[in-house]
Amino acid sequence: MDWGKVRFFWGEVWRNFTRNAAMQLTAIGTVTVTVVLLGGFLYVRTTLAAVGDDMLHRIEISVFLKDGTTAQAAQALRSRIAHDHRVASVTFISKAEGLRQMRQQLKGQMDTSLLTSNPLPDALRVKAGRPDDVPAVAAHIAKLPDVATVSYAQDAVQRALRVGEVLARIGLGVVALLVFVAAIIISNTIRLTVFARRREIAIMQLVGATNTYIRMPFICEGIIEGVLGALVAIGLLAAAEHQLIPKLITALPFVPLNGNSANEALLALELLATGAAVGAVASWFSVGRYLRT
Amino acid sequence: MISLRGVSLTYPNGTEALDGIDLDIQKGSFVFLVGHSGTGKSSLLRLLYRESVPTRGTVVVDGVRVERLRRSRVPQLRRSVGVVFQDFKLLLDKTVWENVAFALQVTGARTRDVMRQVPRVLDLVGLPHKSRMFPSELSGGEQQRTAIARALVHNPKILLCDEPTGNLDPSNTTEIMELLLRINLKGTTVVVATHNQAVVDRMRRRVVRLDAGRIVADEERGLYFGNEALRATGTTGAPALGPSAFGVGRGLG
Repeated sequence: MDWGKVRFFWGEVWRNFTRNAAMQLTAIGTVTVTVVLLGGFLYVRTTLAAVGDDMLHRIEISVFLKDGTTAQAAQALRSRIAHDHRVASVTFISKAEGLRQMRQQLKGQMDTSLLTSNPLPDALRVKAGRPDDVPAVAAHIAKLPDVATVSYAQDAVQRALRVGEVLARIGLGVVALLVFVAAIIISNTIRLTVFARRREIAIMQLVGATNTYIRMPFICEGIIEGVLGALVAIGLLAAAEHQLIPKLITALPFVPLNGNSANEALLALELLATGAAVGAVASWFSVGRYLRT
Repeated sequence: MISLRGVSLTYPNGTEALDGIDLDIQKGSFVFLVGHSGTGKSSLLRLLYRESVPTRGTVVVDGVRVERLRRSRVPQLRRSVGVVFQDFKLLLDKTVWENVAFALQVTGARTRDVMRQVPRVLDLVGLPHKSRMFPSELSGGEQQRTAIARALVHNPKILLCDEPTGNLDPSNTTEIMELLLRINLKGTTVVVATHNQAVVDRMRRRVVRLDAGRIVADEERGLYFGNEALRATGTTGAPALGPSAFGVGRGLG
């Protein structure tokens, strides 16, 4: 290892970097904003996908039995449905049980003590093995005897997911635009450095430095800007998560928001890589303009 | 060492800088390129370190067809051709030592070689005691000697000088020309573009005269305005000075 070479190289990078601190800060700040948005967006999208998936898997088919169906007939119906290989589980909910659950759910929202009689029929709650099978299973059950009505929330959930998908695409477009803007700003910063050092570059070319060698300090500068920006952004995102998620979990108890630390580390790495890549590519192009001989 | 055949150079803006140049320069020779400003002296030099590529013709430098050189091979050529300019082109925020070392460092030279080559060339140009100074603390002559040291640090076979004394007073000019002669005596081919008549006439070296992009005179032991001018006026002009007149040879191995 030739430490003299290493010291010279990083000395050059450091001189570049400290030459125009205000511009460097602008570039780093832009990367920070971009990466915060990108990271926030990816985080929300992952969480939403998990929530959506969870909701789809929790979809139950409510099968309401005709009034006056005997317990025996209900039992027979239950085992008949359970035999369908697409069905994961069937639970019998009696009139009384149904009312109790409803009271539980609506607690504090509606005064259920006003109910003088139980309006609910006996019901079966059917879960399909795969969310895709829900419509077919529901249609099949609807034709069985003793069944009054069949209902499930599939359409609503799927519509919500489709809206989520569209929003995700728009978000991705916005993030792509921001990455582009960050690249341009980094590229401009590097161009300023390159411009300030055009004499040195001319001399380097004159004494036989290769274009690759001339590029290297600038590429490093771009990567440093990208990585620093991404690091600040990751810090901000981590702080935001630390502050917000516990509150969100209290506010939205039915949404499964349990953070997955492995995914978060991966996300942080991806964001770092994005910052570095944006910096490297941007500076590659801005130096290139000065290297044409 | 250098050979140009039928070389023409027209710049993209239509300016015809060189027109049908044929020129051979032997290894180890010392050649002046003279002529008014804008007659193509600099353009000719630029062809030799491939700052420009001829529109027509062939340029051979040290056995390399320069005009056919792939861009990736240009750095290699530049390491075998040292170039010195009128404005020195030193880096003002680096010391003498750093300016010279820079030329080696940016070509990825090993620190060991830097530590060996930089003192050698600083010694050659007579600046070892100024190595920690910045260009602003040096005289014009010393700055140019720094630039020459930088040009020599790769041990080039050819040293090209574009108006090396253009910014210098007469005493510094003499100093620099002495140095160039010493370098030439060590075996480096030296080509000097200049319009300094006194320098050319005193040295009595090969003089190639350019006018409007053509070679109009090429004389061994020539004068700035040619030997005909000398015969016409019947005077000897400035006394012919060889290396010995400059005291060259002192301290040469």
